[in-house]
Amino acid sequence: MASVLLPVSLLLGGLLLVPQLFGDFFAYQIGLYLIYGIAAQGIGFLWGRTGILPLGQALFFGVAAYATAHALRDVDGLAAQLGLAVLVLGGIVAVAFAIAALIFRGRSDSGPYFSLITLALVMAGEQIANTATGLTGGFNGLSGYDSLGGLDPFGNFYYLVVAAVVAVSALLLWLDRLPAVLIARAVADNEPRLQLLGFPTHVIKALAFAFSALIAALAGGLFASHQGIVTPTSIGFALSTELVILTAVGGRFHVFGPLLGAVLVGLASAELRDSFPYWEICLALAFVLVVLKAPGGLGEILGRLYHRILPRKPCKLPEPVQAPVSRAGEAPAPLRFDDVELRVGVVRILNGVRFETPASGIVGVIGPNGAGKTSLLNTITGNLPPTGGRILLGDRRAVGLPPHRALGLGIGRKLQVPSVFFSMSVAENLAIAMMAGRARWRDYLRPSPLGWRAPGLDAVLDTPAVPLRAELDRPVGALPQGHRQFLEFAMTTAAEPRVLLLDEPCAGLSHDETTLMTDLVRRFQADTGGLVIMIEHDMAIVEALSDKVLVLHQGRVLAFDSYDAVRADPAVQAVYAGGTK
Amino acid sequence: MSSVLVLNLVWQVGTLALIALGLAIVFGQLRIMNMAHGEFVMIGAYAPVITAALGLPGWLQLPVCVITVGAVALLIERTVIRHLYGRMFDSLLATWGISILLREAVELIFGRGYQSVAVPVPGTLYLLGADYPAYRVVVIAGIAAGFAALAWWNARSKVAGRIKAMVGNPDLARAIGINTGRLSAASFVFGCTTAGLAGLILAPTVRIEPMMGLDYLIRSFFALVVGGLGSLEGLGLGTAIIAGTQSLFGAALSQTHGYLAVLFISILFLWLKPNGIRSSSR
Repeated sequence: MASVLLPVSLLLGGLLLVPQLFGDFFAYQIGLYLIYGIAAQGIGFLWGRTGILPLGQALFFGVAAYATAHALRDVDGLAAQLGLAVLVLGGIVAVAFAIAALIFRGRSDSGPYFSLITLALVMAGEQIANTATGLTGGFNGLSGYDSLGGLDPFGNFYYLVVAAVVAVSALLLWLDRLPAVLIARAVADNEPRLQLLGFPTHVIKALAFAFSALIAALAGGLFASHQGIVTPTSIGFALSTELVILTAVGGRFHVFGPLLGAVLVGLASAELRDSFPYWEICLALAFVLVVLKAPGGLGEILGRLYHRILPRKPCKLPEPVQAPVSRAGEAPAPLRFDDVELRVGVVRILNGVRFETPASGIVGVIGPNGAGKTSLLNTITGNLPPTGGRILLGDRRAVGLPPHRALGLGIGRKLQVPSVFFSMSVAENLAIAMMAGRARWRDYLRPSPLGWRAPGLDAVLDTPAVPLRAELDRPVGALPQGHRQFLEFAMTTAAEPRVLLLDEPCAGLSHDETTLMTDLVRRFQADTGGLVIMIEHDMAIVEALSDKVLVLHQGRVLAFDSYDAVRADPAVQAVYAGGTK
Repeated sequence: MSSVLVLNLVWQVGTLALIALGLAIVFGQLRIMNMAHGEFVMIGAYAPVITAALGLPGWLQLPVCVITVGAVALLIERTVIRHLYGRMFDSLLATWGISILLREAVELIFGRGYQSVAVPVPGTLYLLGADYPAYRVVVIAGIAAGFAALAWWNARSKVAGRIKAMVGNPDLARAIGINTGRLSAASFVFGCTTAGLAGLILAPTVRIEPMMGLDYLIRSFFALVVGGLGSLEGLGLGTAIIAGTQSLFGAALSQTHGYLAVLFISILFLWLKPNGIRSSSR
């Protein structure tokens, strides 16, 4: 807790000193910058953690500001006003969540589409604010109401702002240590991997957006009370832009970065806006420079200086805790393909694939390049929905579901090129994998899941030759390729899926590592009694591991039998020996 | 529907298509999410203001527009965009900053106030039973001819294929002899210059001010969302739907309603048809 309490108390102490040292009017000015800073902290949370850039946060800021102005003018009694505030905040959260969930559904990028929609929304909001005179007072805005609770905007209201800043900062610092933010960062890092671990990334992104909207709305409510007037500029495009600049310049990766940006830029603007005509251009230039040269902004630069003086303590690994049972490991079931077809554009990749695996065992998938092996796995996990036919896992249909639902069916998948969370440590990668299929909603707000362990994962980590145990605190980006293969294998098997899909797990491994990997695969199958489907080019591995071998050729099943029977098959021989087939 | 409304619709679709064309090249082909696209429309619209301020004859508007917009685009490509190929999200951030910079620079030079310029082709034409400004008729004909020429050229030229190759694998493209630096710069400058031309065309019909570009950025982006990237038909369909919705709702109710309808349609498309009506990727 010290990592939350210490910085927050320092912040509180510093802010409480401002009126004593510089007088009430200065505190009033700082109060406004802090209000902008709170909204910017929301942007920093969303942008710095999940990588989504909201260009229209002033919409939520402004809606809340107008609602506050109305409440303060037309509603009597603090309790009724606060009740109304809760209702408005709830509405804003719901709308923000719905919009983001709709747009992010079916796409795995944080890219330009969402940012543009937020920009369009704020411009619509500004237009409405200017034209709906009855509701917003039009160009002149709403004014002539008392401050919240009768506090003096130039006096004691400052302490309410400080309380809000401290509360939001404490909340954000606390969240940064919890699984919730770890998952949010994983979205920005490697969204497809997170989906294959069973996390609905569009819901995660929408939740993060709704949370940032809530913070912006909170700031908007304070603003209305602090300024005593709300005009269309409070909901406008210009404010949205300014909030993004404050966040970028101050530093989006640290909780205090946006606050710092808001106060510094605010003070400098007040000083220079009128006397120095190039100030706005300099600010825009600073933003471009930050984007290109210092994505972490001032926060990161100051953080680096700080850690040069006080070296960073080695981060403590979380306490190992027994994890709850995975929901992915139901009873084993056979996987059945019924005339599955897959076409992308004019290219026919799978042409009526038909087979049924046993419920338990290891199936090797072989075939020449372009036979459709990886596409076969893609149809199972929903990365490429089949254009025809059925896929059944036991008696459940596994077709047409998005990738994040695959693990819920009991399907885990390791990709061909190791796909892990590259910006995180090995321990963090494993923590996310251990939450896959196990965590419930409340678990994301408790620190203990970060240390979850299960016998299956321990067995992999405790295997003497597996290198991961010794490098738990190392960043994955620094690991050699072979180690990443083992990490991804450990992550995929952590949820103990009843169907494990492996795409060339031994690619890029040395001879010894290959032996180790085949041992791990065999042991996983024996321990869980489930089904393993493995694409492999190395026939020695196929022979050593496979109970049955599926031969794909030109999008069709050429043979599906035991290794020896497949090897003796003349059709298979023709394909592999370069016959006329 | 009155014929003036139809002609207005054609005018809206035509000018938006010209703006969206530039964005389709820069965003659809180069994968640079150019948030400053609207600012090139804005700079193009300031070309008549520049010639008027310098006392230059009216026919110099076109060269002044192309040179100004082209020079700004080339400068930005060489200094900033060049580093951002293959990094779409970073390109969004950087061009967002550039758009702020361009707006502030123009504001510093010309002030925040509205400017207006005279219509270069005065008078009206009697068309489909109504009098219609001759200037708009000339522009519509010009844009139609331009797109026809572009479609003809696009069907024969290999440039689109080379751009695709360059974006897909810059190293390999260089290895087979494509000068990627020149090709990407040329594509970016061409895309921005079409936007600038659209600005010049629109200048006599709108209020010219530093913030005017945003609206065009959003509408042309939505046209691409609806139409899908990668084909001229998609571009046409997308602009028709967006400009059509905006004009109809705008005429029947109000500009705000038109804007909200466009926004609603775009969110609907992003939700239900994320690749647009026509798309080369699926």
